[in-house]
Amino acid sequence: MNEFEQRLRQTPLRSLPPEWRQDILAAAQPPTSVPARSQPTELWWTRLLWPYPRAWAGLAAAWVVILGLHLATREPAETTTAARAEATPGPEYRAQLQQQQQMLAELLGPAEPREAARSRSTPGSPHTWRQTTLTA
Amino acid sequence: MPGRPTIETLYDEHAEALFAFLLNLTRHEADTRDLLQDLFIKLAREPHRLDGVREPRAFLLRLAHNAAIDLIRRRSARDRTRDRLTEQAGNPFASTADPDENLFRQHLAEALGELPPDQRAVVHLKLWEGLTFEAIAALLDIPLNTAASRYRYGLDKLRHQLRPLYEEIT
Repeated sequence: MNEFEQRLRQTPLRSLPPEWRQDILAAAQPPTSVPARSQPTELWWTRLLWPYPRAWAGLAAAWVVILGLHLATREPAETTTAARAEATPGPEYRAQLQQQQQMLAELLGPAEPREAARSRSTPGSPHTWRQTTLTA
Repeated sequence: MPGRPTIETLYDEHAEALFAFLLNLTRHEADTRDLLQDLFIKLAREPHRLDGVREPRAFLLRLAHNAAIDLIRRRSARDRTRDRLTEQAGNPFASTADPDENLFRQHLAEALGELPPDQRAVVHLKLWEGLTFEAIAALLDIPLNTAASRYRYGLDKLRHQLRPLYEEIT
């Protein structure tokens, strides 16, 4: 360090005004008015929403809009119950259906045992077919 | 492991140096006070900031520097005019009864005020804080060569400005 630098270095700087100390330290004291009970709730909320509170608020608003649209476009409850009632068959319809089934059974003739019907309708197995050809 | 220093201890140990550094950068007493107060409020609210800090003085000077540079950037042309009007209040040097010495200090304050804030910060930290270029580079987050060159440029300008007066009084 040369002479000029030494000269500059020896030039004393102004002192910190002593009256600032009290004011600055008073301002720097942490606030004590916050009630202890409300702190955990506040922390919970701030932790949850802190990084992007506006984004969270926007998302919540979007969901409200979606829910509103869904409710607005949904059919009223009376219409749906009426439609459901129409869809389920009533006693008159059932009676008519039963009558039609009876008529169909009469047209087709008396019911046969199932096994006999099956043996008649299905072709014989290769073994039985060979027996019949031999006897013929 | 030593505990955290209290805010009062921090103030008593470092506020003087922070005040001089901030005043030299801002050249405005009220701004210096605001910045100093903000800094200590921040430290009181976030005391963990000093956890693991080996050199609290350097750390605090860094915080002060960043705050002062932010303030200088925010200042409008109108503020600069106001600063010129209140230049006397922003003189970073103590006054003395010796008129020659007082004149020198006044000229030194003006010459320092004409340096760009980057150079002024380095000159202040080197001359009045006695820091090495390595420490200054780390504090200001700049390369070592940049710190050294800023100091040389700054000092050359001061020498050029103060030469007539300096030769007269020495």
